Amino acid sequence: MLVELNKNVLIGTVGYHLLSNHSVGPILLPQIQSISWNGSVTVEEMNWGPIAIVQYFQTLEKPFDKVIFLVAIERPERKIGDISVFQWMGHLPSEKQIQACVGDAATGVISVENLLVIGEHFKIWPKEVFLVDVEPGAEQAGEHLTAEVDAKIPEILRILEDLGQKPTIVLETKKLRGDTLFEESL
Amino acid sequence: MCFKNLPIAFDEEGNAYLKEGLADPYEHKVVDLGEEQEVLKGLLERNGFIRNIDYDPVTRVAGALAFHSVVDLEKKKVLSTNSMATLFRGYEVILKGRDPRDAAYISSRACGVCGGVHATTAALAIEMALEIKPPPLGIVMRNILLAIEYMYDHPLHLFLLAGPDYSEELVRETNPELIDKAATTKAKNKDVHGYDTVLDIMKDLNPLKGKLYLEALTMTRVAREAYVLIGGKYPHPQSVVPGGLSVTVNASMLNEVYSRLIKFFDYSQKVTGIWDDVFDFFLESNPEYAKCGIRPATMMDTGVWDRPDHYDAKFENCDTWGEARWSTPGVLVDGEVVTTKLTELNAGMEEFVEHSYYEKWDGHRFKEDPNGMPLSPNHPWNKETIPKPGKQSWKDRYSWDTAPTWDRMPMEAGAYTRMYMTAKAQKAPASKFLENTGTSMKIHVPKHLLPEKTLEWKIPEHWNAFERNRARAYCIPYSAMVAMENWMMAMDLIKNGDTKVSVPYEIPKKGTHIGFGAWGAGRGFLTHHLIIENGLIENYQIITPSTLNAAPRTPWGEMGPYEEAVLNTPILEKFDKPEDYKGIDILRAIRSFDPCMPCTTHIMAKDSDHMVTREVTTCACGVE
Repeated sequence: MLVELNKNVLIGTVGYHLLSNHSVGPILLPQIQSISWNGSVTVEEMNWGPIAIVQYFQTLEKPFDKVIFLVAIERPERKIGDISVFQWMGHLPSEKQIQACVGDAATGVISVENLLVIGEHFKIWPKEVFLVDVEPGAEQAGEHLTAEVDAKIPEILRILEDLGQKPTIVLETKKLRGDTLFEESL
Repeated sequence: MCFKNLPIAFDEEGNAYLKEGLADPYEHKVVDLGEEQEVLKGLLERNGFIRNIDYDPVTRVAGALAFHSVVDLEKKKVLSTNSMATLFRGYEVILKGRDPRDAAYISSRACGVCGGVHATTAALAIEMALEIKPPPLGIVMRNILLAIEYMYDHPLHLFLLAGPDYSEELVRETNPELIDKAATTKAKNKDVHGYDTVLDIMKDLNPLKGKLYLEALTMTRVAREAYVLIGGKYPHPQSVVPGGLSVTVNASMLNEVYSRLIKFFDYSQKVTGIWDDVFDFFLESNPEYAKCGIRPATMMDTGVWDRPDHYDAKFENCDTWGEARWSTPGVLVDGEVVTTKLTELNAGMEEFVEHSYYEKWDGHRFKEDPNGMPLSPNHPWNKETIPKPGKQSWKDRYSWDTAPTWDRMPMEAGAYTRMYMTAKAQKAPASKFLENTGTSMKIHVPKHLLPEKTLEWKIPEHWNAFERNRARAYCIPYSAMVAMENWMMAMDLIKNGDTKVSVPYEIPKKGTHIGFGAWGAGRGFLTHHLIIENGLIENYQIITPSTLNAAPRTPWGEMGPYEEAVLNTPILEKFDKPEDYKGIDILRAIRSFDPCMPCTTHIMAKDSDHMVTREVTTCACGVE
């Protein structure tokens, strides 16, 4: 995959706080913010509700060319700390499912699936939307990452830097479709 | 004499005392729920038309709220209900031992919608504990901020969450007989909303693409823009602090707020007109709809929006400044006002954990409030949060929610309660925009693009799902007019050079200081009870509206409000086979409370990576 320079890039973290590995985004946010990004990279927590994020994108004078989310979702056949990079392909589930996502979003549920689906429905996403997705293992409470994920921090940050600002880089990405998200999460 | 069940009496001077001669004044019955379950088990085994219906979760993403009911599909009756909060979040535990100033920022995260309300309530708790009186501009700006939050919240609920339940798409699936009727029923409020028939409205309530759905999204944005001008950001404002607000307020900022606020003048007229038309149509088409979600109007509210000339944060004066609020605090029992005093409201509160995943705590540290009113060992100032995950059992424990009561009665909370209470009590001070008649609230909405209009919300005969949502619609102009009145006060204060928005304060390093914050979220009141010990939080207890509404049974077997409302709901949905049954009537009943479970159920312990497991399966299949 070829990554171009000087794009207007958003790196967002999505996930509940205080859930150990499931909170990899919020936990790493200060480190990501402290990276010397070039001027076209914005780093923000993106937990403040898909509807609000839709409205935020709609007000942008200069839209983002690329959006990267750091998330942690339990997926089958991965070991804790495994990192997958997905490219969002933008297929939408049924309208009933989209409305259910809106319902969750409006009641404060933090979920990258909701964010992707609702954002897609309201057509806010640029062509390039990536998920840097770390396997968190079973949900548990905690202010800290487990050793497995802690050891992967340099790799996570490197992937974000590469995706965010390197002129050319080849990354292995998987495709993520909205209409399969729900099957995966079953 | 407001207490009928708690052992609190009053002398001739009105001083409260604990009734004498009772061996254990706060004892209560604990009933065995097993008998009821055995009867249901027998029914299920004998009758094929009796089904377990699980709404699990009520939202899509697993977690917050699950609802279990047993329904007789032949008799179209609900036989049994259980509301389950399926997550423990434990903000009470997180906050223990912290600097009290952390409370506003941390507790704000208890909810992804009403963070500003939690932050404000935390600030109020500290203000009471330390007797910090904010300056007038700080108080009125806080009022505006939180009125705006409701103007975001109510349209969102009415059109994005509850609205689809009344949309053409949904009604065509569940009650097709209503569609033809809606097509020929003229809308009574066409002059304000422009729709000719009820079916025209229902079509624009369709999710994702209906014009009313999309317009509500736009209006939530308008409210949010106004909100961030004061709060800095949404949903977790950065400017709410004990002692006022940390934001610069000037005429320019107020004008920016006003330019958003006036958009709600016309929108208020439109929204109330829309929902009056839709709900009147349902209730007139089939009077049985009046039983959907019905329960007695037994509710409580702490009031909200302080008067700058009354509020001094002191507990000893809280009855006075409480009754001066733009919404009157108090308790309604079956529609009748039993108190409007914050001290009585506070003293009557208890939390029970017999059917929840918590251990009962020992001790009764605060036997009286600072004024000498007796307090139960189950009062939030005496409560401790001790999580105890376990097996789910309808006979025993089935929820991470507690069972809060007032005077030993389960209470409902809602935005509508503050309007009901205020209209009925007639204690709110005179207002240019609001008039309380004892049976209604008249809201004088100024002109914007539409001419000025007086909207009147009337206390309904039956308290049901439709009336909850209708009242919520009227809470939009109510909130907008409170915001407007405070906006005018803020302008006057600025003109007079009274621009201070906060006062400095210090957390005392020694001694015990107690307070409670009482404010309102979009879905009802919430309280934060705080004990500061030697400069740190010794105990922190949060009761949210959903804590009350989604409560499990009390120890003596009374149902929580969701459970009771659903049990009373008739099955009016049309279906040929049980497999086609969608449960719309039950969902309407639950949604009319505007459930917000991220508020109710809380997660984890500070400095502990100990796993708080979700050992309670959210699936009701296979449980006892």
